[in-house]
Amino acid sequence: MMRRILFWIGLIALLIVTLFPVYWVVATSLKTVKQAFAYPPTLLFEPTFANYARVLQNGVFLRGFTNSFVVSISASVIAVAIGACAAYGLVQQTPEKRRSLEKFVLGLRIAPALIFVVPTYYLAVRLGMLNSHSLLIAVYAFVNIPFAISMMVTFFEDIPHELRDAARVDGARELRIFWSVILPLARGGLVATLILCVLFTWNEFFIALVLSGRDTQTLPVTITSFLTFQGIEWGPLTAAATLIMLPMVILGLLVQGNVVRGMTLGSVKG
Amino acid sequence: MDQDATRYFYQPVLMVLGAVSVVLTGYVAWLTLNDLSLMKPAAQKFVGLDNYARLLTDARGLAALWRTALFTIAVTTIEILLGLAIVLYLDREFRGRRLVRALLLIPIIMTPVVVGLTWRFIFDPSTGMANYVHSLLGQGRPMDWLGNPAIALFAVMIADIWQWTPFVVLLTLAALEALPSEPLDAARVDGAREWQVTFYVLLPMLKRALLIVALIRAIDSVKAFDLFYIMTRGGPALSTETLNLYGYISAFTNFSISYAMTIALVLTVVTNVALLAVYGVMFPAREGVRA
Repeated sequence: MMRRILFWIGLIALLIVTLFPVYWVVATSLKTVKQAFAYPPTLLFEPTFANYARVLQNGVFLRGFTNSFVVSISASVIAVAIGACAAYGLVQQTPEKRRSLEKFVLGLRIAPALIFVVPTYYLAVRLGMLNSHSLLIAVYAFVNIPFAISMMVTFFEDIPHELRDAARVDGARELRIFWSVILPLARGGLVATLILCVLFTWNEFFIALVLSGRDTQTLPVTITSFLTFQGIEWGPLTAAATLIMLPMVILGLLVQGNVVRGMTLGSVKG
Repeated sequence: MDQDATRYFYQPVLMVLGAVSVVLTGYVAWLTLNDLSLMKPAAQKFVGLDNYARLLTDARGLAALWRTALFTIAVTTIEILLGLAIVLYLDREFRGRRLVRALLLIPIIMTPVVVGLTWRFIFDPSTGMANYVHSLLGQGRPMDWLGNPAIALFAVMIADIWQWTPFVVLLTLAALEALPSEPLDAARVDGAREWQVTFYVLLPMLKRALLIVALIRAIDSVKAFDLFYIMTRGGPALSTETLNLYGYISAFTNFSISYAMTIALVLTVVTNVALLAVYGVMFPAREGVRA
């Protein structure tokens, strides 16, 4: 009995350490300035949405939201479409060939973002493309493709070979097998991969910091522009932070098991 | 004949990916042999290995390299040990197991920029929670966590450990559940005590999974950027400047593209050599990295 009580105490301590920082940011976003800076800190208070109202009236933030939305969805759809094709082809190869090809795909992801972002930046400046959505979408799609391939390979592997063989005996062409037999079976995997690509792209900061212009800033870059060294307005800032992370926390929890699976393959973090 | 058509599904994609990587790497390598500044792109000139020589004698760069190594080794070690301890603690049946797992996922999927802001808020010298807790513990004087060169790096480490220890926990927990239970039961039948089972049977079986997690964390820590940029921007007095951050500053504050690329290339090569060495020592047999 004593041991069980100790176990629960430890577990609760672990959860408090894990969740308190998140709680604290969300709580601060719902406080008035006076409550937010009370000392000792106020733990119980009546929530106010004034900070959210301010953030949602801020044109720069709203544009950041639109940009993040457009860029992460477009780049992820492109990456998953291309990645799924490539993964399907890879899975059908002989084991030795597959190993070396998959190693190549993994190897594409070890270099730090700095190494390809700076030449891209330099070229974009010369081509005058720095302020366009298509540049960001293309770069994020490119970065997400190796991830999408590795991820889709794990899902296609789970589909029994007999299905493809049977379709071929019936005389179906490869493209048709892919489209009407394999893809529908891997639907769950496609959605999970798409969600993870959106999550990584939405959260990504370094590439966006360098390659986005005034009109294409995504949310992580937008929020840093609210961060001045003389006096930070924590109220609106924490409200903005909550609005940025909330959709991703929800999406992440939807595909729970796959997050860890995907991150083992290596993520697209800067 | 049979594999012919499937080739066309992946070959074009991999060829484009490969070509872009080769061209970019070649271009980066060429840039490092030149002196190119964004301020005057017309004045590009070939300088041979000057940029590399400059990095070798650049005290700021070498300090950043050392700091990157320190940060990587420290956070990876702490996250693995702490994560393993939590896994062994959680490895039993209890109500709400699934819920606990879901909650542990939150730091991992949180936007890194927001994690940086969160911890900057907590470490705020005048109103932050860190100093409040500090005062509750009876340590009278408030600390300037992110403004003191002696402790700022540790403050960033705390944020990193907070965000990524759950990752180690979830991954190791998944590996643990995939293990066969017979060896553990056999050891128990033979009269081994619970701590002996853990140390002599369970941990050796988990070794491989732990090494892979450590490898992933090490690669990511070398590249860490977001937390540093948001929490300290390399300050105060350069005390938290990592090599990646220094490369960024060289490119976009000092506009010396060539030097920034030299830093990036050296960082990549050093990381890969170090990782290959570690990998070679850990997995002497020919095995793929598949977790």
